Amino acid sequence: MPIARTDVDAVFPRVAALIADALARNPDEVRLDSRLIEDLGAESIDFLDIVFQLEQAFGVRIPRGQILEEARGPLSYEEFQQDGVITAAGLARLRAVLDEVPAARIATGLRVDDVAWLFTVETFCKVVLRAQAAEPGSG
Amino acid sequence: MAEPIWITGLGLVTPLGVGVAPTWQALLAGASGIRPIGRFDASGFAVRIGAEVPLGDATDAVAPRLRKFAGRQHGFATHAAAEALRDAGVAPTDTTAPRWGCALGCGQVTLDYDELVATAAAAAPQGELQPARLAAPCDPIAFARQQSIAPLALLATQFGLRGPLRAVHTACASGGQAIGSGLKMLRRGEVDFVLAGGTDAMLTPIGLAGFCLLGALSADNDDPARASRPFDRTRNGFVLGEGAGMMVLERADTARARGAPPYAELAGEGNALSSYRITDPHPDGRGPIQAMRRALADAGESPAAVDYINAHGTSTPMNDRSECAAIHALFGAAVDRLLVSSTKGQIGHLIAAAGAVEAAFCALALRDAVAPPNANLHHPDPACALPFVGAAPQRRALRVALSNSFGFGGANSSLVLRAAGAVA
Repeated sequence: MPIARTDVDAVFPRVAALIADALARNPDEVRLDSRLIEDLGAESIDFLDIVFQLEQAFGVRIPRGQILEEARGPLSYEEFQQDGVITAAGLARLRAVLDEVPAARIATGLRVDDVAWLFTVETFCKVVLRAQAAEPGSG
Repeated sequence: MAEPIWITGLGLVTPLGVGVAPTWQALLAGASGIRPIGRFDASGFAVRIGAEVPLGDATDAVAPRLRKFAGRQHGFATHAAAEALRDAGVAPTDTTAPRWGCALGCGQVTLDYDELVATAAAAAPQGELQPARLAAPCDPIAFARQQSIAPLALLATQFGLRGPLRAVHTACASGGQAIGSGLKMLRRGEVDFVLAGGTDAMLTPIGLAGFCLLGALSADNDDPARASRPFDRTRNGFVLGEGAGMMVLERADTARARGAPPYAELAGEGNALSSYRITDPHPDGRGPIQAMRRALADAGESPAAVDYINAHGTSTPMNDRSECAAIHALFGAAVDRLLVSSTKGQIGHLIAAAGAVEAAFCALALRDAVAPPNANLHHPDPACALPFVGAAPQRRALRVALSNSFGFGGANSSLVLRAAGAVA
């Protein structure tokens, strides 16, 4: 489950270039810890675009909504959230999966709908690495 | 009396140039925008000529953040809209944006050819279409781009228009009807400004194939500049073009208050359906007669007051004959004082943009007191006898101009423009 820093660094340049292109940003504005929505101005459709572009660029299949599914892990949907608000158990899972996000940002009251606000460029590097691990030989 | 509606800004992207000035100069100089097709390999088509806009990447005027949502026709509209707003010297602000409307005629908004190729590769990897693969792994942005609202949504987003938006899809009548729609928004008091016009970019393998299937195009591949010859007895079809025309409309009092000079008054619009056949015009021209009559009545003018008609004049055998019959039926003895030309001889047929570009030509004709020429009319068809402008533009004071656009499917649009300051 833990992803090696060197692996993240290896895919970062292509992921960053692709995100910069999708969001019409200068490549040097896109850092590993840049937040897609707050720092780079992503809209909902941009996430779909970026995931599609990552699939094309890395030759992998990334199911939509995969990050949340990873975070939920063995928890049932009811155990993960209640009335749209993520439970304590859910937050713990989320902190483990999104370990690139400062833990303080994954706080009580976080809504499922707002999880995308946490995503950074590193989040998408890890999405690619997990997809590659799931499909050995892709790349 | 209701306040006149003025045209205070124009923007054009045409086969004759990018911008109003280069287009208008080339039009009056008799230049042709029709050439062998260069943007894709047309060698396998019976028709290998077209009226291409001289822009490699048409999306360069689209804001970088929006560019991925823009195809070629969206790009043309953005170019023309930016020019029209600059020309009018006014743009929406946070305060005025809700009082800005937009009406755009646009054509067959569909997958770009390259997207179609990519979709085919993704969805039919072994040659057999797998419908589920249309959902993944296909490009979500391509889907967003092909929505019929997309060109309009881009204009609204880029220029910050927040009033009523109208998309008009009535084939070749779209541009004219969009401008008419803008006129109505202003008259009803819904808005203070309208950005109106039309855009189209059907000069693609798909668009060309479609019009080849309909047998509507001239195949005079060896003589592109002469291929489109409206009202000539040797005419044999239209030439497919692309481009956009946009204009800023506002009430005369608004324009005067901010010191903005008009090109012309947009005085009236008329629409009518032919309800006859899908692709054939009615031989008596009954839909066009009604559209022209309504537009003149709307402008408070009689047929005898019209000085110039920018005809639909596609250069197809049927359209030109039917349009001439309609003009004779409506104008009677008053045809003799008319000047008539079809600018499609030089720019081809811009489909959903045609009516908007040609209305802009009428505005320029009124401002400059000159009727654009008929570039290729050497052997007038006896069945199309009208007082046509010759191969050179004709200088004459013009007070009232009529712009006709008649569409596939039977939609007919006429616009009446009046020299600004002239009384009805």
